Amino acid sequence: MKVALFVPCYVDLVNPEVGVSVVRVLRRLGVEVVYPEGQTCCGQPAFNSGFFDEARAVGRHFMDVFEGEEEWDYVVSPSGSCTTMVAHYYPFIYENLPDERDRAEALAPRVREFSDFLVNVLGVKDLGARHEGRAVFHTGCHQRRELGVLEEPLELLRNVEGLDLTGWKNEELCCGFGGTFSVKMPDVSVAMADEKIKALDESGADTLVSCDSSCLMHLKGRLRRTGRETRVLHLAEVLDENGG
Amino acid sequence: METRKPTRRRETEDRRPEGLVSPVEGFNERARRAVRDGDLHDSVELFTNKSVAGRNAVLNALPEAPGLRERAYHIKQETMANLDRYLGQMADAVEGRGGNVFFADTGEDVVRYIGDLARRKGAKVLTKSKSMATEEIELNRRLEEDYADLDLEIVETDLGEWIAQLAGDTPSHIVGPILHMNRRRIADVLSGVAGEELPPDVEALGSFARRRLREKFLTADIGITGANFGVAETGTIATVTNEGNGRLVTSVPPVHVVVMGIEKLVPRFEDLSVFVRLLARSGTGQKLTVYTNFVTGPRAPGEIDGAEEFHLILMDNGRSELLGTEFEEALYCIRCGACLNVCPVYRQTGGHAYGSTYSGPIGAVITPLLKGGKEAKDLPHASSLCGACWEACPVGIPLHDLLLKLRNKQVREGVAGKAQGLAFKGFENTMKNPALYKISGKAGRLARKPLAKAGAKDGIPKTLPGPLGAWTNGRDLPELAPKPFRELWKEGI
Amino acid sequence: MADRAEFLEKVRHRTQRGRYKPTHAPDVAWTPKDEPPREDPRIEDPPARFLQELEALGGHGKRVTNLGEVREYVLSLARGREAKLLVRWDVPELEELGADGPLEEAGVEVAVWRGLEDFREVAGKADIGLSTAEWAIAETGTLVLEGGRGKGRSVTLLPPTYVAVVPVEKILRTVPEAIEKYAAGYAAGGAAGLPANVCLHTGPSRSGDIEMSLFVGMHGPGDVHVLLMG
Repeated sequence: MKVALFVPCYVDLVNPEVGVSVVRVLRRLGVEVVYPEGQTCCGQPAFNSGFFDEARAVGRHFMDVFEGEEEWDYVVSPSGSCTTMVAHYYPFIYENLPDERDRAEALAPRVREFSDFLVNVLGVKDLGARHEGRAVFHTGCHQRRELGVLEEPLELLRNVEGLDLTGWKNEELCCGFGGTFSVKMPDVSVAMADEKIKALDESGADTLVSCDSSCLMHLKGRLRRTGRETRVLHLAEVLDENGG
Repeated sequence: METRKPTRRRETEDRRPEGLVSPVEGFNERARRAVRDGDLHDSVELFTNKSVAGRNAVLNALPEAPGLRERAYHIKQETMANLDRYLGQMADAVEGRGGNVFFADTGEDVVRYIGDLARRKGAKVLTKSKSMATEEIELNRRLEEDYADLDLEIVETDLGEWIAQLAGDTPSHIVGPILHMNRRRIADVLSGVAGEELPPDVEALGSFARRRLREKFLTADIGITGANFGVAETGTIATVTNEGNGRLVTSVPPVHVVVMGIEKLVPRFEDLSVFVRLLARSGTGQKLTVYTNFVTGPRAPGEIDGAEEFHLILMDNGRSELLGTEFEEALYCIRCGACLNVCPVYRQTGGHAYGSTYSGPIGAVITPLLKGGKEAKDLPHASSLCGACWEACPVGIPLHDLLLKLRNKQVREGVAGKAQGLAFKGFENTMKNPALYKISGKAGRLARKPLAKAGAKDGIPKTLPGPLGAWTNGRDLPELAPKPFRELWKEGI
Repeated sequence: MADRAEFLEKVRHRTQRGRYKPTHAPDVAWTPKDEPPREDPRIEDPPARFLQELEALGGHGKRVTNLGEVREYVLSLARGREAKLLVRWDVPELEELGADGPLEEAGVEVAVWRGLEDFREVAGKADIGLSTAEWAIAETGTLVLEGGRGKGRSVTLLPPTYVAVVPVEKILRTVPEAIEKYAAGYAAGGAAGLPANVCLHTGPSRSGDIEMSLFVGMHGPGDVHVLLMG
């Protein structure tokens, strides 16, 4: 099995350790990982703001970089949101451009979110990881609704030794990041984070886990601003703990 | 006369430190006040939590619910594709039953039709059951102003709508119009009408309202309703109310006027069994609304009650503009309010922040579309695009995709603004070019130092100027890593 | 006045524009993974289910076997509510019931829904409304009320207490079954098959507009009784 790693731009620049954990976990499972160097971004910021032409241009670059059917079996990304952009929304933005649409539709099933890839492609549910603490899991909205990858990360976390995975109130609620929404509607965005944080406090968890670093960046920013020391980790980081 | 002219809503003072202004005016300004209003927050939370729990329980209990949603979507799709035919059929059916039909292009046409009718009938008291279509066109205010000489008394009879009317307020939710008011506020409003102090007690307030509105029901000259559904085949109007006001308004006054948006049609009578169930379960968490009332034309010969005269107004008011476009699915809406209840933005702001008759995700979609042009251009951005609305919608309207398409429409029509255009052109150029992308990352890391210096202690900037300030006003800025992933990869993992 | 032909032509023209691609909504919340308590679609005992649903809504239901029991129920209800005026539908079933005499004897005036000078005056004053129903729906505890000669809509609506008498064989299982009756009626008989008013009446009138607190008897009757006979 050979995969191309897609490290979204904010993971590349802000949370590169997430990418490192993904590589280590995959290699431990015998997967050959390559990192196409021409990669940049999926185009989602432009798309979400309505700049479809700009998103299409970036999408073309993404497809140029990642098509490589001969070279790798799958494209794996540690982000439910960026995976959704490629697998769900590329066919949407190229709807009226037959060439690109065909390319997008061919690429879509090969682009997989990290936990989806582990559980549904590799058939792995237990990584032999260890993490002490009580955790809640935040499912990013794209992962929940467009991808429908709900149970996979939870199953992986339930098999982490020492980890007490607990539920939290209204867990299906969006964290309030929403890409450019977080700066276009900052007051509401922060109020949404506060509702999540209130639920987090009530759950008694000391760790917040997600498959989306973007949600985590937003929630962590608010947690720190309000003086909370909650650990904030990407699923890959948890699965990578204690060397497996 | 009990009804007062609507007054401008008093804006609560914002006592918290000023944040940075959002690049999107309008919604954000109103929302900023709303998120600081503790009473409002509690009221909205109570309503939405209860509504979502009720809906989930009663929808999940119905084994065929997913199939019903599928059918609803397809019925609406078929209706819209042949809307002219179904409208014609509906009009024929109503006329065949002795009713009158009027085609109204605009709200103005509706106002004139009803005003002229009131004049002809010498009407004094008009009772109304809850109707979003008439809210949309501000029927009450316009009738009172344009037909001031008739001195009409227009009375809303849904408890919540009545209280809103008395308070000079507007509904903040499609289903729960005054969810933003607590019982103390409601007691204040009703005490003003009663001329005595009423306790903030649901029994006392409800009983007072029943007595007062009963007088109106019995003396009304004209009853006005909206339509939850209109059946093309039979000319039937379906209205659902729990209070019974919909059935009263259509049964007691001698004249019944229906104001129906043209998208409310369903082709066949049997389609009602799909929609009345979805509406009740999805909107209020009931298996069926208490009064699910089907009226077909005026009263039949031999009947003593029921309206003698029946008028159906088929209102366009911008709706047909959506037909055959990428926004057509917005017309499938059955106004159940489920998308408001699950919306994480609505939960924080309530309905008035949207500044329009329709709030929540469906409001953010249809308000700019119905109003057209640059109106309500803030609303498509009042969403984190989480898709909870899409998931909850009993007709399967892809509301968040429609919001995306609306944002794109703004870009195409030049509403989005030059600065944003330039920013995203820059984004495109950077992201198409790996070398440029790499340099930008480096530049970002370099910029951190002076920023940190300008910011605060511990090297962590607390607040920043410019667009980044919108982030740092409430959140810490993430640290850029000393080395991006691509460098770590090169060095070897 | 907007012209019908012009209006419909505008609509037709707009429906002809380019189509859009339909989207499929996710059904995460529609087909939940945990098996929730499901309603039993078979409904093996419709009368029992009807009574159960009606009680859950705060209505009162009772199964009776003969007209004597119905009379007794109505009489004792009238006494209990200290009723002065009862208004009832003018239908053969309620003539047969023979409750008018005993009610009058008990000091309750009975108004029958025929030839009324001012129906508002009568129905608005009445303490109790009494009617039959065309059908009842087990699934939801619903009465299907038709308008027509002798069958006043206001009777079921204006008095604070409302009683309906329904033979058990009139109980349908589901809402679609009831709606199908009228769809079929219309298909067979046109306008004659679909009365000017059909109301699916489900439990006491209520409002939740004040802080989501239940207020019963908002505009319609808050005190609803259904007697299933047979």
